[in-house]
Amino acid sequence: MSPKTSKPTLWSTLKDMPMNVWRSIFRNPLPSNDLERSSTSFTNFFLHIHPVKVHKHSLKPSYTLGLGLISFFLFVILVVTGILLMFYYVPSTTQAYDRMLDLRGSVAFGMFLRNMHRWSAHGMVAVVFMHMCRVFFTGSYKKPREFNWVLGVILFLLTLFMSFTGYLLPWDQLAFWAITVGTAIAGYAPIVGKDIQFLLMGGTSVGQEALLRFYVLHVAVLPAVLVLFIAFHFWRIRKDGGLSRPEDADRIPAMEMAEEGVKPEPKRTYGLQGLVRGPLHKVGNVPDNTVFSWPHLFRAELFVFVVTLAVILVIALLFNAPLEEPVNVMHPPNPAKAPWYFLGLQEMVSYSAFWGGIGVPGLFVVMLLAVPYLDRGTAGVGRWFAKERLLANTIFLTFVIVNVVFVIIGTFFRGPNWAFVTPW
Amino acid sequence: MAVNLKRSSGGQGSVKVSRRRMLGWLSGVGLVGSGVLSAISNFVFIKPRATYGQPQRFSIGKPEDYPSGTRMALDARRICVVREGNKLAAVSTTCTHLGCIVGISDTGYACPCHGSRFDQDGNVTGGPAPRPLPWYKVTLAPNGELEVDKDIEIQPGSYLTL
Repeated sequence: MSPKTSKPTLWSTLKDMPMNVWRSIFRNPLPSNDLERSSTSFTNFFLHIHPVKVHKHSLKPSYTLGLGLISFFLFVILVVTGILLMFYYVPSTTQAYDRMLDLRGSVAFGMFLRNMHRWSAHGMVAVVFMHMCRVFFTGSYKKPREFNWVLGVILFLLTLFMSFTGYLLPWDQLAFWAITVGTAIAGYAPIVGKDIQFLLMGGTSVGQEALLRFYVLHVAVLPAVLVLFIAFHFWRIRKDGGLSRPEDADRIPAMEMAEEGVKPEPKRTYGLQGLVRGPLHKVGNVPDNTVFSWPHLFRAELFVFVVTLAVILVIALLFNAPLEEPVNVMHPPNPAKAPWYFLGLQEMVSYSAFWGGIGVPGLFVVMLLAVPYLDRGTAGVGRWFAKERLLANTIFLTFVIVNVVFVIIGTFFRGPNWAFVTPW
Repeated sequence: MAVNLKRSSGGQGSVKVSRRRMLGWLSGVGLVGSGVLSAISNFVFIKPRATYGQPQRFSIGKPEDYPSGTRMALDARRICVVREGNKLAAVSTTCTHLGCIVGISDTGYACPCHGSRFDQDGNVTGGPAPRPLPWYKVTLAPNGELEVDKDIEIQPGSYLTL
């Protein structure tokens, strides 16, 4: 601005106002050089949880499969559609089911939003589980990421609780008998089991109190806890040095430099942003394997988001979320089946309530939590199915397959009275 | 703490430090204590004192409603009334496994949820159920109606003789 116009007139103030407002929100122009790329990542509230530069290895779709991002984006879709559904839902045993029918009949996009919510929930359970498998098979839970693995296991359990409390809310046959069975399983827990069952049901039988309690858990308590743990999980990724990668992922450029006879420049300046990024990263022209998050990381994230949303939209258009008969407290459906991801549990419970519902799942969870503290070897991190980790990967794969087999048995091989049937 | 106080009572300076430490400890205990207390009170709050449910003791009509050979499930009450000749009993139809309602089958009772099976007397014959179906006390009230009390379990096989 020239000194002449230093005293703004009313006209110039008004004329510059849109631009001033814009610049007060976005401090940087669209980045055209590295400094602006860093600044954009730093000064934008929504971008600043990202690092300024990201390792090329972390951007490989074949390494991460984008599963963590997909889980998060499904959660975002679930929050948005869930809040919208809350405008029409009433957690009352006499009204809940009618409200489901209203969603189908008289609410604009009601059925569509319910479909999106249901299929995203199913998708989130599946993707979170696959994300856990990815982290295991690439050895990514090893030092220094042990605790983030623990957080991830907690997030997986929270996801299951979210979906369990969610499918009770329509108050159809599935809801009622799932709540009956689920709280009864809790009752088998040692010492505090009966108290937990009583607290969950809000009484001695499943009814209005239980529905209200599960509603509060589903829309307030569990989402708050889940958001907290997601934030913790993301923060740990940054503090643990980004995504895991093989040791040689960093060494390659240095070796190339040595071969080419290029000496690293002795004079280095460490900018503030370079220090925040981590002391191991040099600022300057030394070639390394990182690229700027703007645009590489952000473009990849946008791509994953768009694909996730598109898939959910298509599925929600094609398939309607199931709604069973209204609750009949006198007659459980026969067979009374949980959603697919709980059928493995239901199959185990059909052998023994305590061992199938509490003992074995509890043991699984304890083992998952303990994995990074038992398996202390450092070899094979950052590669899928590394040879050095053959034993650990085989054990984990066995558990995964056993779980999948139980789900398949529960889904296809169980008929009326939970008797063994053949689907063909 | 008490030991610390005694030992440091000699010098002026150390008395000051130990008082400070004492207050620090007390504040810490107070903060943690009130945190624990409020957590417990939350659980006390969400544990209902009064529950809304069906009465556990109820009338099921006159003995004539159940002719000999009857096995009639009263699903709303979650019992099955059994009558053989002049003997009558009320067997629970809540599965002892995970609380589903068992259905009447040819050989006794069968649960649709996880496949538990019981014989006519409620003994487990298959599946994951850990206990037999309980029998409830049935009495003949002065007004001639049968009364079931689900708070009182009786020995299986002990019928009310009419």
